[in-house]
Amino acid sequence: MKILVCMKQVPDMESKFKLSPGALWYDTADLAWRMNEYDEYAVEQAVRLKEQVGSGDITVLSIGPDRIKETMKKALAMGCDRGVQVADDAAMAKDPLAIAGIIAEYARSRDFSCIFTGMQSQDRGSGQVGPLLAEMLGLPCVTTIVDFAYNAGEYLVKRELEGGVRAIVKVKGPAVFTCQLGLNTPRYPTLPNIMKAKKKELLTVPVAELQKLAGQQETTRIFFPEKKGGGLVLEGEIGALADQLIAILKDKTSVLA
Amino acid sequence: MNFELTEEQNLIRDMVREFAETEVAPTARIRDEEERFDRALMFDRLAELGLTGIVFPEEYGGAGADYISYAIAVEELSRVCASTGVTLSAHLSLCANPIYLFGNEEQKQQFLAPLARGEKMGAFGLTEPSAGTDAGGTRTTAVKDGDSYILNGTKIFITNAGEAETYVVFARTDKAAQKHHGISAFIVEKNTPGFTFGKKEQKMGIRSSPTMELVFDNCRIPASQLLGEEGMGFKVAMKTLDGGRIGIASQALGIAQGAMEAAVNYAKERKQFDTPIARFQGIQFQLADMATQIEAARLLVYSAAYKASHGISYSQASAMAKLMASETAMRVTTQAVQVLGGYGYTREFPVERMMRDAKITEIYEGTSEVQRLVIGTALTK
Repeated sequence: MKILVCMKQVPDMESKFKLSPGALWYDTADLAWRMNEYDEYAVEQAVRLKEQVGSGDITVLSIGPDRIKETMKKALAMGCDRGVQVADDAAMAKDPLAIAGIIAEYARSRDFSCIFTGMQSQDRGSGQVGPLLAEMLGLPCVTTIVDFAYNAGEYLVKRELEGGVRAIVKVKGPAVFTCQLGLNTPRYPTLPNIMKAKKKELLTVPVAELQKLAGQQETTRIFFPEKKGGGLVLEGEIGALADQLIAILKDKTSVLA
Repeated sequence: MNFELTEEQNLIRDMVREFAETEVAPTARIRDEEERFDRALMFDRLAELGLTGIVFPEEYGGAGADYISYAIAVEELSRVCASTGVTLSAHLSLCANPIYLFGNEEQKQQFLAPLARGEKMGAFGLTEPSAGTDAGGTRTTAVKDGDSYILNGTKIFITNAGEAETYVVFARTDKAAQKHHGISAFIVEKNTPGFTFGKKEQKMGIRSSPTMELVFDNCRIPASQLLGEEGMGFKVAMKTLDGGRIGIASQALGIAQGAMEAAVNYAKERKQFDTPIARFQGIQFQLADMATQIEAARLLVYSAAYKASHGISYSQASAMAKLMASETAMRVTTQAVQVLGGYGYTREFPVERMMRDAKITEIYEGTSEVQRLVIGTALTK
C-alpha cells in the first residue's frame, strides 16, 4: 500500500510574532519551527495504517525552504519511509490552490492508495489544501476525521461535525483524509528511529517542476487586530450602579433589547 | 568551528522535551514530596524512547548517538525533574559505560546489552563511610576463592540502589598494595546471595531518586564478573567518573535552565507598583546574569561532550563543565527563589525544589573542590 502524507512546517505557536509594516507574512527570523500539529496526527495515522497492513510505503511531502528538512526528519523518525521536499522559498506566499496543485502534480502518476493531510495549518489555516487536492486527483475526500479504520480496501472513518455531532463515513480507496486533533496519539520519534532517519531517502524537487497551476488569491495585508478598549468600571451607590448597568446593556448590547 | 546542533540533536531535544513536559513534569512535585521513585515513568519509559543506551553502538543495544545527544537528554529531563535526570545519568554513565569501556565481549553481551536496552537498570558503588573523594580508602574487600570472589563491606549514598539490577562495585583485592593500587571493579547483580540493601537516605533534594546502602556479607560472585583486570579498579573508577561528570553537569544545566524559565515567566506575570516586575532593571539584571551563566555552562558541557564523542581527552573538560554547571545551578536556583519572593519559598512553585536539587550537583561524582583539584593538577603538573 502506497501512502502519502502532506506535512507543513509551522512556527512554534508560542513564538512572539513580528509583522513589519506592509508585510504580507510574519517575520520568519528568530522563530522556532515545528511540525504543524494537525499533520502530526496525519503522520501517525499513516504509520498505523502501514503497521496494520503489515507492508507499505509512506512518502511524506512538504513544500518550503531548506529548513523544512529538519521537520521532515521527524516524520521519517516517526516511521515514514521517504521524504520529498518541494524546494520553494516562496511557499508561504502561495495560496491553497497553488499548493494543492503542486501536491497533485506530484501525486497524480504515483498511485497512492491513501493520502493524509492535516485538517488545516496552524499558521495560514485555510483548511482547503486537502479538499482541493482530492478534487484535482478526482478522489473522494473526508475532512475533519477523528477516528480511522481500514478493512480490505474500504475505510470507515468518524468525522467531527459542529455542535458535538459525529458522523461515520464509509469510503472506498483511494481517498484523501484531513485529520483533526485527537485522531490518535502521535508517537515520539524514539532515539534509535531518529538515528535511522538519517539514512532514509530525502529527495528535493524544485518547485518549478511541479507548479503548473497559478494561484487565484492574493493576501493584501496581514495585521494584528487593534486592541479593544479596557473594561469599564462603574462606581457609586448600589441602586444607581444597577440603573447605570441596565442603561449600558440596553444601549450597547442586545441582552436587554 | 561550528556552534550549531545537528538535525538529529535538535530532534532529540524536541522529543525529550516534549516527553519531559508531557509525562515527567506533572508528577515531579508530588514524587519529590512523597520521596517516591516511579520506575515505569522514570526508567521504563526512557527505555522505550531509546534513551537508556543513547551512546552505545547498536550491537550492544544502544542507539549509536553521540555524547552531546546524551547531554541534551539529561539536560531536558532535569529541566523538569532532576531526579529523573540523575536516574538516567547514573544508569548510563556510571554503570553501563564502565562495562562498555572495560568489559570483555562476553560481559558486554551479558550485562551491557540489557542495560542499554533498558531491560535492566544500573548503579555504581564506590563511596564508603571511609572512602569518597579518597577512593584509595576503600575497605570493602574481595577475596579470590577458586572461580569466585567473596565480597564483604558496605557502600553508601548509592544512586538507583535497590531499584537497579546491575551494579558496578569497587573492592580491595590486595590489602598489601598501597592505597588505590589494590582496588578492583566487579559487576554484581541484584539478588546475589549475600548482597542486600541498607537504609534509604532521607535527602534534601533529588528526593524522587532512591539512594541506599549496599551491604555485602560473604557475597560470592563468579570470577568472570571482575571488570577489567585485578588491581585496575582505581583506573576504572576515575575513567567512569570523567564520563559521569558530563551527565551531572548536564543535570545541573537542566536544573538551572528550568529555574531561569520559571523566574522569567513569573517576572512577566507578577505586578508590583502596577508594573510587571520584569520591567524593573533590578530584576532584568538578575535574569540577564542567569541566562549568561547558563549559556557559558552549556558551552562547556557540550564542548566536553564533543570531546568525549571524538576520542579527545576530556578529563579536564568534564571537570570544568561540572564545576561551572553545578555552581551555576546553585546560583541560578537561589536567585530564582529570590525573584519569586515569598511564592518562590513555597512548595507550590518548582524553584525551591530546584534549589534543593541543585545542591547535590556540587557534591556527587566529585565535589566542586575535587573538580578544582583535577583542573589545578593538570595545569601545574
